[in-house]
Amino acid sequence: MSWTLRVATPILSVLGLWYLAIFFSGMPAFVIPRPERVLEVLWVDRAFIFENLLATLEVAGFGFLWANIVGIGLAILFDLLPPTRHMLMPAAITLRNVPYIALISVLMLAFGDSILSKTAIVALSGFFPVLVNTLQGLRAADEVQLDRMRILNASWWQTFSQVRLPYAIPSIVAAQEITGSGAIIVAIAAEWMISSTGLGYVINNAMQNYRGDKVYAVALLATALSFLIYSFVHWLGRRLDWRAGDPRR
Amino acid sequence: MMAAPISIRGVSRRFGETMALHQVDIEVAAGEFIALVGPSGCGKTTLLRIVADLVDPSTGEVRIGGDTAAEARRQRLLGLVSQRPAVLPWKRAVDDVRFTQKIAGKVGFDPAKVLREFGLEGHENKRARQLSGGMLQRVNIASAMAHDPSVLLMDEPFAALDEMKREEIGEWFDRELGVRPKTVLFVTHHIDEAVMLADRLAVFSPAPGRVLEVVPVPVPRPRDPSFRQDPRFVAIAAHVRSLLMHRTVDA
Repeated sequence: MSWTLRVATPILSVLGLWYLAIFFSGMPAFVIPRPERVLEVLWVDRAFIFENLLATLEVAGFGFLWANIVGIGLAILFDLLPPTRHMLMPAAITLRNVPYIALISVLMLAFGDSILSKTAIVALSGFFPVLVNTLQGLRAADEVQLDRMRILNASWWQTFSQVRLPYAIPSIVAAQEITGSGAIIVAIAAEWMISSTGLGYVINNAMQNYRGDKVYAVALLATALSFLIYSFVHWLGRRLDWRAGDPRR
Repeated sequence: MMAAPISIRGVSRRFGETMALHQVDIEVAAGEFIALVGPSGCGKTTLLRIVADLVDPSTGEVRIGGDTAAEARRQRLLGLVSQRPAVLPWKRAVDDVRFTQKIAGKVGFDPAKVLREFGLEGHENKRARQLSGGMLQRVNIASAMAHDPSVLLMDEPFAALDEMKREEIGEWFDRELGVRPKTVLFVTHHIDEAVMLADRLAVFSPAPGRVLEVVPVPVPRPRDPSFRQDPRFVAIAAHVRSLLMHRTVDA
């Protein structure tokens, strides 16, 4: 399939379904606005939306960074000192299973509407896939390679950086695809609940003013952004993955 | 580095309820090639891993050049060749050989030159997936020898190759050892391969593995391929086969 066709097909099918929904649902325009109206809002309110987009990107970016620092950091700690896994993993699993709405509320009470509370919620929602995948990846190192490093009396750092980490990269990249695109969605959700900035706030504000077109505009932007981040991480992952180009894959 | 003698004294190893090795004694002279032959599960690989200091013996001890196995490993006197090549899949062949030297902090030889001598001219810059099984095992051996170890521990290194390749690479390896002498412990299922390559064969009983007999091959190495037709070769191989057959039936 040509590149143009691969891009055009999903866009055309989404537009087709959109018009069908407008036609058959009979919903008013503030519930399902026309696509051209949504694009018009994006253009007319571009300054306001862009300003809030930057706020969302800041929250998502820092949250994503912290999710990785915590996720990869804990995985390395568990690998280096196995008893820490028994000590800290239950806490990580518990945090993972606490409803995000409750977490957002608690963080709001603790830190108010600040970048800290929003970044924390993005980090908390994203660190777990990074932790689990990194742990799994570090264990994927081939035993014969590890024997080779032991026989050469390699240091922990040499074995980690030269063998275990390269083996873990495909798993770490897979986690980034989840955490990277998820960071935008979670940042918007947090902003929707507690913030006076960001795309989440724009949606909340638009809802209160019956501006479905603006909600759709932000949703469209957020979806495109998540998709772009996913594609970028996927592309970067292919560059970093030592298995790329293997005809058996 | 000079080849070092290995002394295995009273080595036993138990895994839970299972006795894998029982009271194994083998003395290996510096530069000697010993093949460990026996049925599957008789503890040959366990013994090799004990010598490599990758597994602790339950009883007994291993001395390499007068030191413990752990000390020999710390001094990087050991080279390990596994059945599955330990060539890093993201490295080019020549870089993989260099990698051993970098980690060991010792340069035994010029990697590119040795890969050419190992018959890999034009393949030095290929990665593992681009090499055939025979080529990959040559890179694996070059990597294991790259820091010039005194002792080579080989665990069925040619088992994944077909019969023709196995004989070819065995003959090549025999010649290589003439150039770079090492003390070799060589685990194999193949009696003919063991008789062709080794100075002596340690024949193991089924589990728990004990040394039934140490069988000498009184022909100097490297050996000509025609040795396979030599009556001495045939007689030694038949003797080892009968030792293994009787013990397996008894077990």
